Amino acid sequence: MDSSRKQQVAVSELVHPKGAIRSPARPLPELRNLRTWASLLVVAVLAVLPALSGSFLLYSLSLCFANALAVLSVSVLVRYGGEVSIGHSFFVALGAYSVAILEKHFGLGLWISLPAALALGFVAGLLFAIPSRRMSGIYLAVASMALALCLPELLIHMERWTGGFEGLYISRDLVPGVSKAGQRYYLALAALVLVCLALAHFRGSRQGMALLLARAHPRAAEAFGITRSWARISIFALSATLASLSGAVLAFASSTVSPNSFTLWSGIFYLVGSVIGLQGTSLIAALIGGGVITLIPQYLASAGDYVPILYGAALLIVTLVANSGSGLRRFLPGKAA
Amino acid sequence: MQSANLAPPSPQPGALIAHGLNLSFGGIEVLKGVDLDLRPGLVTGLIGPNGAGKTSLFNCLTGLYRPTAGRIALGDTGLDALSPARRAGLGMVRSFQHMALSPDLTLLENVMTGLTLSRRSGWASAFLPLPGGRAETQDAQRRAMAALDELGIAAAAHLAPPELPPGTQRLGEIARALVAHPRVLLLDEPAAGLNAVETRDLTRALRRVMHPGLIMVVVEHDMDLIMQLCDRIYVLNFGKVIACGSPAAVQADPEVLRVYLGADDE
Ligand SMILES: Nc1ncnc2c1ncn2[C@@H]1O[C@H](COP(=O)(O)OP(=O)(O)O)[C@@H](O)[C@H]1O
Ligand SMILES: [Mg+2]
Repeated sequence: MDSSRKQQVAVSELVHPKGAIRSPARPLPELRNLRTWASLLVVAVLAVLPALSGSFLLYSLSLCFANALAVLSVSVLVRYGGEVSIGHSFFVALGAYSVAILEKHFGLGLWISLPAALALGFVAGLLFAIPSRRMSGIYLAVASMALALCLPELLIHMERWTGGFEGLYISRDLVPGVSKAGQRYYLALAALVLVCLALAHFRGSRQGMALLLARAHPRAAEAFGITRSWARISIFALSATLASLSGAVLAFASSTVSPNSFTLWSGIFYLVGSVIGLQGTSLIAALIGGGVITLIPQYLASAGDYVPILYGAALLIVTLVANSGSGLRRFLPGKAA
Repeated sequence: MQSANLAPPSPQPGALIAHGLNLSFGGIEVLKGVDLDLRPGLVTGLIGPNGAGKTSLFNCLTGLYRPTAGRIALGDTGLDALSPARRAGLGMVRSFQHMALSPDLTLLENVMTGLTLSRRSGWASAFLPLPGGRAETQDAQRRAMAALDELGIAAAAHLAPPELPPGTQRLGEIARALVAHPRVLLLDEPAAGLNAVETRDLTRALRRVMHPGLIMVVVEHDMDLIMQLCDRIYVLNFGKVIACGSPAAVQADPEVLRVYLGADDE
């Protein structure tokens, strides 16, 4: 068998005539390098920031990082599962209240409550995904909404544990002796950076690629041993674990939890953040999504009457983009890897 | 030698047998008492006009459709109660008539998904660059690259399917089916969308990957490919097997000439 019979085709011949627009599979190498450098620069700047700035900015940024994690949990679900959830505030609250309750009632610090929050998020993700594994699209979104709707009632009802309307405070340090603002900031930043690195690795993993195939062609995936139930349950467990992590970080960074931080609006805002970040799972996309949903409400608090209008507009945009499928998204630049 | 990578670990005995398959959708009978005997080491062609039920028959064999009657067995194993994923686990793979590659993965990564069942790396390796997981990924990349090379499309490995012409996408699908050394390979119109050169290369590649343990079934409208490649041919018309035998015998069958070759002028 000689090699001449093998028609090795030049790359230029293989490129589709209509293929001038790069598909989202992999961005151009130059672009990827640029993105890596940009991310490194952002991390470097964020890492030295505490030495240069006041504690209010640090506090705001810590909340940004925590919200960016919540946005990532939704983006992962959209990208790898092809599904939309508007009830992720439930899983975020689960993580936040785990930290608060373990401290208040058991005197446990973050070293124990953070892993516990991750484990609880994982289990909650499984418990939601298993019965709903045959639902999709709008039905799944509505099922997730039910979770978010019942949450505040549940928190108020279980007042003995959750502190009811008032909520709970978190005051234990992660590392005693270090400034509070510093610990909160660096924990949130570290969690965000590590999650982004883990997600970048996940994209090339056996499980990540299997999920991407199952999302595009569930039947083809099934013919290669990737079942729909496996895909759905895996992606929900992963997404809920991330959401719960974001809640734990949020509780620590803001040192307080209360039911009105976890309303249906929070869930919708995570989705808005995910759409704004083009469902990307990169650091930059997460920071943009998390930044927008943290800062806009803060700065608009003084705008008073306009706030509901802006919320409504945001909701409208999400609905339009979600319903237009790939139609509208085609006009958006390539998704972040 | 690249083809060594696609050679089987060892030949496996056992034919794929279908007996009395019936399939209907809301009263419309799509398959009517189909019997198949698909032998290892032989390339079986499945031909028939559009709508004859060829794709539906593949769907029954792979478990996507549940036949309304009849039985399917691979060797000693009855397949009737098994899910598509379980059948895949027994070494049954297929390509799809309509392209089924993920647009979010490169061609190489798409082929790597064909190895999912033979990969063992756990969830820790999915998120952390552990040595075991990396070695496995590199091995999968090597095998996927060998499969692409075998079909002559290694140059397209790092491009995404939407950037590729249909012929290359089609070959990529076949590479994905071949990469895990299947026991049964079902190809649904593999030459659709391929030009003459690509079809010739495909025919050669398929002949090259054929081995005594492999059951290969090809649904195809390209008669040159069918006649060159197949050892046996089944002719399906309106859900019924109307002829079965060697290419020469089938070509000479008056019934076949009438309903299929003559009418369609393939
Ligand atoms: N899921 C389905 N629901 C209803 N009818 C179907 C379905 N799948 C196939 N059919 C019908 O079965 C017949 C055979 O289709 P198919 O197996 O695709 O034929 P072929 O592959 O030989 O062209 C067609 O009439 C088609 O409409
Ligand atoms: Mg067909």
